[in-house]
This record gives sequence, C-alpha cells and structure tokens, in this order.
Amino acid sequence: MAQAPKEYSIVGKQTPRIDAYERVTGQAQYTGDLQLPGMLYARVLRSNVPHAKIISIDTSKAEKLPGVKAVIHHENAKVPWSSGGHTHRRYIFNNPVRYVGDPVAAVAATDRHIAEDALKLIDVKYEKIPHVLDANEALKPDAPKIAPNGNLSVGKGAFSAPIEESWGDIEQGFKDADRVFEDTYITKHVNNAQLERRVSIAKWDAGKLTVYASTQGVSNARTDIAKDFALPLSKVRVVCKYMGGGFGNKNQAQDYDYMAAMLAKVAAQPVKLEFTREDDYIGMHGRWASEQHYKVGVKNDGTITAVSLDAVTNMGAYRKQSGNLSGTDFYNIPNFKKVIKPVHTNTVVAANYRAPAYPQSVFGFASFLDQVAFELGVNPLDMFMRNRAQKSKGKLPFTSNYLEQCILEGSKRIGFSEKWHKPGATAGPVKHGIGMALGGYPFRPGLGAATIRVNPDGTAHVLVGVTDIGTGAKSTMAIIASEALGIPLNQIQLTNGDTDVTPYSVGESGSRTTAFTGPAVVAAAEDVRKQIFALASAPMKSKPEELDLRDGQVFRKADSAQRIALGQIVKDSGDLIGRATTNPNFPKEMDGKCFSAHFAEVEVDTWTGHVRITRYVAAHDSGAILNRLTAESQIKGGVVQGIGMAFSEELLIDKVTAIPINPNYRDAKVPTHLETPEVEVIFVEHYDPYGVFGGKVVGEPPITAAVATIANAIFNATGKRFKELPITPDKIVRAVQV
Amino acid sequence: MEDEKKGTRLSRRSFLKGIGGGAIGTAVISTGLVKSDSAEGYSPETSGAGGNRATITLKVNGKAYRVEVEHRSTLAEVLRDELGLTGTKIGCDRGECGACTVIINGHNMYACSQLAVWMQGKDILTVEGLAKGDKLDPLQEAFIEHDGPQCGFCTSGQIMSGKALLMKNPKPDEAQARRGLSGNLCRCGNYNREVAAVLAAAAKSS
Repeated sequence: MAQAPKEYSIVGKQTPRIDAYERVTGQAQYTGDLQLPGMLYARVLRSNVPHAKIISIDTSKAEKLPGVKAVIHHENAKVPWSSGGHTHRRYIFNNPVRYVGDPVAAVAATDRHIAEDALKLIDVKYEKIPHVLDANEALKPDAPKIAPNGNLSVGKGAFSAPIEESWGDIEQGFKDADRVFEDTYITKHVNNAQLERRVSIAKWDAGKLTVYASTQGVSNARTDIAKDFALPLSKVRVVCKYMGGGFGNKNQAQDYDYMAAMLAKVAAQPVKLEFTREDDYIGMHGRWASEQHYKVGVKNDGTITAVSLDAVTNMGAYRKQSGNLSGTDFYNIPNFKKVIKPVHTNTVVAANYRAPAYPQSVFGFASFLDQVAFELGVNPLDMFMRNRAQKSKGKLPFTSNYLEQCILEGSKRIGFSEKWHKPGATAGPVKHGIGMALGGYPFRPGLGAATIRVNPDGTAHVLVGVTDIGTGAKSTMAIIASEALGIPLNQIQLTNGDTDVTPYSVGESGSRTTAFTGPAVVAAAEDVRKQIFALASAPMKSKPEELDLRDGQVFRKADSAQRIALGQIVKDSGDLIGRATTNPNFPKEMDGKCFSAHFAEVEVDTWTGHVRITRYVAAHDSGAILNRLTAESQIKGGVVQGIGMAFSEELLIDKVTAIPINPNYRDAKVPTHLETPEVEVIFVEHYDPYGVFGGKVVGEPPITAAVATIANAIFNATGKRFKELPITPDKIVRAVQV
Repeated sequence: MEDEKKGTRLSRRSFLKGIGGGAIGTAVISTGLVKSDSAEGYSPETSGAGGNRATITLKVNGKAYRVEVEHRSTLAEVLRDELGLTGTKIGCDRGECGACTVIINGHNMYACSQLAVWMQGKDILTVEGLAKGDKLDPLQEAFIEHDGPQCGFCTSGQIMSGKALLMKNPKPDEAQARRGLSGNLCRCGNYNREVAAVLAAAAKSS
C-alpha cells in the first residue's frame, strides 16, 4: 500500500473536535440562537393547492394585526431565486404556484406567535390548474404543463435533459452476453431532515446586506444573494459559524434568506425568519425519487458485458439539481448506456441529499446485480468482486483504488463466506440473512483559499471560509494547518464562515472541503513558514532552507538540538501573514474516487415483517484518514441515514389533494437509537498522491452502499426481492406470505 | 400596520436588562433575585391585553427568574428568547425530536411541549447548568472524547437525556442507555457515539 512520505505529528490520530467544548456546553451559537437589537420574527405562508394561479391576495387584515411590520408576496417582492430552479425562472414567490408548499407570502412581526397569527389572516384566492403528481404521467403529452418547456426538465448545460452517457458498444455488449436480464427498481422522495430547522437573519446597514444564514457555503450564498439582489459582492456579508446539519439542502442561498432580506428592507429592522418542521419537510427539498429500468448482459460466470439504464427521476416543481443516477460507478462495465429523464411534477422539489445521485441508484443496481448473481447461481461476494470498478468509465485509471481490499477486509470481518446461505434457507419464522453492496463517491480537487496569521507569541490564527455542517471540517482544517505549519493544534485558533473576514471556500458539499480548501491551507502554511525561516536565518546562523519548524520550535534540519522557540523568532515582527489561493487538478487522463464495501447481517421476523440489523461492517477506501475520530463518526452516521431510507422513510403525498401527509419526524420515521446497530468501520488506509496528506473523501460515501446492503441481506433472509423502497414491514409480510 | 403603543421595541436583550415593557411580547422583569419556593404550583397572575399573559417564577439551573410570558409560550421559547439559554435547541417544536430536552424535577422532558406557565415552582436543569464552573460534567467530557456531537444540534438534548438516565441509574447497560436516549433523534446518525459516551461517563463515575 502506498505510504505517506513522512511521519505526521497530528494527521491520522484520534483528535476531538476543536469546538467540542462549545458544542457540549450549549455555548455554540447557531444561527437561530442569535438575537439582534430590534429583531423581528418571520413566518412563511405556503400554497395549499398543487397547481393554481393566484387571482388575488388580500393581506389587509394581517397588516392591521398589532405587531405586524411587513408582509411580502409575489406582487410586492418579485425577487428571482436563480439557484432555486434551472429550467424556468423561479422567484421567491411564484404565480402560478406549482406544488403544495410553494411560498405565497411571508410576514414579519414583533413576535413569532403574532407572525403565525398573521398568516391565518391572509386571504388568497386561487384559480386551480390541473396537476400531475406521478413522473410517468407527467411525461404524457396531455399532462398539465408545469414548466414552459414541458415536464421533461430541460435546462442549460448541466441541467439539460435527458441526461445521457455511454461508452463502448452497447449492442455488441449484449450480443457478447450469455444471459441478459431486465428489471425495474423504485425509490421514493426522502427528506434530509437535519435537526436544525431553516433559519435566516437579515439586516441592512446603509445599503449593505448582512445575512446570518444556516448555510453549507457562505461564499456561494454570498454570490447568489449578490446576483439576485443586484448588489456588488462587497455589499453582501454572509455569516455561518455553527450549523445544525444540512446534508445537501442548505448549500447556497435559499428563498428564506431572500425573504428575510426583503422583510428586513420593508420593515427597516433586522428579521429572523424561521421555518417550522413542516416547512422544512415541504418547503425546501429532499432526495429525488426514481424509477430505474436496468438491462444487464452477463457471462455465465457473472462477468458484466453491458449495462443499460433507462430512468425517470421526479424533481418536483423546479429543477434545483441534476436528477442523475450514478450507482453504476463502482463496477467494471465495458459497454454502457444510460438515459435519465428528470421530470417536473406538482410535488415537493427534489435536489441534493448526501451523495445526491447515489444511494437510490446503488440500491437499484446492486440489488439487481445480487439478483442476477442468484439467477446465475453465483455467490454475491464473487459477483461483486468480479465486477468491481478497476477503471473509471471503463477506461481512465483512478488516482488510487483499494476497493478490492475493502471487499476482502469487510467480508472477512463479517465472515461473509461462512455465513452466506441459500436465500430464505433459515428454518422458523425469524430468518437470518447476510448481504453486501459497493459504494463510494467522486474525489476531485479544486479551488480553495486560506489565510494564516502567525502572532508575535508564536500562536497562529487560521482563516478559512468553510462552514462545519457536522463533518468536523473546522477541526480538519486546523489539523491540516497544525501539521503543515509545525505549530501544535492547541496553539491554533480557527476563524471560519464569515465572508467579510474569511477567504473563499467552495462550500461544504460534495465532500469537497478537505480536497479544495485543504491544499490552500497547506500552501498558506508554506508561505508563512518561508517568512519565519527568513527571520530565523540570522539568529540561527543558517540559510532559510536549512531550517524546519515542528512543535512550535524552529530548528536546523542537520542538527535538531539547535532550536529556538517560534515565539522568540517572531516576537518583534508584528503579524506574519501567509496566504494562498490554490486550484489543483488531476492529470488529464485520470479520475478520482473513494470506494466502500458494506456488509450487513439481519434477522427478519416473517410474522411481523420487522427487520433487525444484527451486525454491520463498513469498509472504506478514503485514502489517508486525517482525523480517525470524526471520520469514523461520518461513516457511522451515513449508514444510519441509509437505514432510514431502506426501512421507513418516504414523503407520502395524498393522491387527491396533493398535500404531503407526513412532513414531520414521527410520521416520516427517521431512525432512532433503538434501530441503530453498532456500525463497525474499517478504513483501508493508503496515501493518495493527489489528496491533502493522502486523504480523499469521507462524508458523502457512507450512505451510498447502505440501502442496497440491507436490501440484499433481506433477500438472503427471505428469498424475496424487494424492488421498491422503503422496505416496510407490511411489504415484507405480504411478500413472504405469497 | 399599526404602530405599537410604546414605539419601536427594544431588543429582547435590553428587556433582560429591565429597560422596557412593550405592549407586545414578553418581558423579563428582573433576573435571579426572586423567591424560589417550589411549592407554588400553577397560579400565575394574568396580565396583558385579553389576559393572555402571566408573570411566573422560573427556577433554572438553581437561579430564580421572574418572567412575564404569553400563556402559549413554551418553556423552550422562554429559555431561549427570554433567558438567553440557547443551549436548549428547538428541532421540531412538536415533541418528536428531543433537541429541546431539559430535566424538570429529575425527569428528562421536551421543553417544546411544556408551557412556560406550567413551570412555576419546578426545578429546571438545562445544558448550561451541568458544568460546575470550569469543571465539565463527566458526561460532557465523555461526549467530547467519544465525538458525541457531529453537527451538535441534538447534542444538548442527548446529554440531558443521558444525564437524567444516569441520575436514576448510574450504571446502565447498553440497552438501557439506548432506551434512555431513544427520545432524542440525531439525524447525523451519531447514535453509536452518544451511547458510548453515556456508558463511558457511567464507567468513569464509579
């Protein structure tokens, strides 16, 4: 395995978060915890019809309610929301409304209860338009048209449709096959359901807009706001210090940030706009539902010769994100073709949720491969091992690839070969099963920036634009800085998430923070180290290049006993500033990916349909691990989200009224302590030459394989294939009783 | 929009300092100096337009606060907005997620599901009341060591449920720890860590 070029001081250890103290004492100030002088509270009124023209909106009664300071709606606040939709112009309030939950008005009042009261006093008259909820129905020629171009969601560039990709010769691939199988898998809309409800605080000072946001990306939020409010970037400040989760649905600026800004402008007072939990479930977005039709050609030994995927993805009323399905990424497919149609319906918007295009399609494809293995009489472990990805898109080499070791180590840990049995073979009503699947996520570097200030006492201040949505990104940045500087972690202060203070960051999404901002932190550290060695040159009677810095001590490389404390060197130098903007890339003919192989054992009670996960092993190739403590937590958490998606989560929409009927934790059934098994984490560690200190990607991957792993274990237990999520007890009972 | 009777409202923080009393909203009349007799029960004086407000005494983390609240204000709202104790989070505001968990008379309860006016005379412990000066509660230390918080938004609630469990059962086994925390959702899915932290704290305080 590739080794790191040197021993690290702190990289690779188990390091508690640098802000853990604040998080366990209640001192961490999340956006909703902030109170500004004269601040008003705001609430949003949403459409209760799925598709309608607003004929009139009467806010006079609401405005007369004592305490109400501002009421905005589509007539008096026509603000575009560019990142909210990429196929047709979306505003913060739209007319017509296109789904139950589309914002209609917002109210700011001196108290949140008054704002809630005021919503009930707004009289909206709708003229209903026929609506469509099902993605396949929406593609029919006579379906109600949701976007001007029709319901196939055609936008520009990355948002074109259908999404098509192919390589090799698909027809030849099927001809080369001994057997060809076809089947369809279905996944549902599930909400990110982060604990922190959406909140935004906006205030205006002499034409400058400050937004205290709950965002995954202060920089991209600033860019969005500046664009849509036609302000220069210098007149927009976005701040997010602590962030209560997002998993992809708090990236960039969102309509509630804009509503808070507009209300603050009208009221000439700061405004805190809070979503209710129901707002959060229907007013933002969840993971896109999909219907995936696969055709797979295989040799009798299981070797894949060709795969085609035809799919529709339900994007809801607006196209915020791609709608792609990428679960085939982890396999060696010589001939491939996919056609995916992102479709508009009059339902809640679907967009990014942790590893956006993956868990739903990994469920589909890895379930199907498991089924094909069964039909061929091939053991699933052999099937997955045989077809594991060795090149990207059939041709490009990966920067590093330890998927084989993930499969070997994970299967050994759980004892897959010994425990696997003929599907449904256990005697009695409680049936044992074991299953596996492959997952991962793209890894690529990109644009980042960092500033490091070395103070006259030898401590350091690191400034990065990153937010920390729970991954431990702040800690990771501080660890990278500590290692690259040679200054102990406890002497490093990190300031993050404030566009007036901290430099650009890509935003904490797509598992990019370490790969994008990490190299900038390293480069900024090198910049300031040069300045330190130049200063130390005279007192140490050495050339700068003969010096090194470690543990806060400057020393001669040739003789480490000759050393001076950093604080001595810089004490009269004011602040030394290191800075860097970096934009690394891979060589042209190369691709990056991290990989995982997951394994689960289950007990299925065929009388009640209840499934208990008795063991779970997640083996990951994430390159080198910078902080084992937080990295392991990420893996464990991603698996738990996969458990929810596998067993219970689905946003249900009433077919007659189009109203979502379970937009809350209890009815959406997110996993609790009680369903959660111990998740055993294996990191197949190695040094990726293109990662910061050899690290690749951690946060997005763990959810990708989890759903399919559980589904395949249930198949092994019951001998029944579940092709539609979620796999609820009623479905299991019905299937086993046939 | 009608102007308020007493002009523009000041910030809630300035209310905390006892500066103003607007026609709308709640006001802290004084902090930390009122009797803390816990035998009073629910007998609030009503005030405000339409008699929808009451002045109550809240005993939080050993301090007594005299607060004027709306009848419909929840304990979670009053802790956060009036007393500035924002460690108690509101995740769902409907008794499902547990982010607002505090300990009331020794029991972990959802502060979003308790009206503030019901709290007269009750002993309320929030996450801010756990540490003794600079000395963290062993459970807080265990949450740091075992990476209990990911995003951290549920953490206060997890800790308060864990604390309530340990107060009743200082040596829970793993199943009991899970059961004790089961009313607290963690969407980061960090359940393994939170249970491990509770068990570690129990082991430490032997």
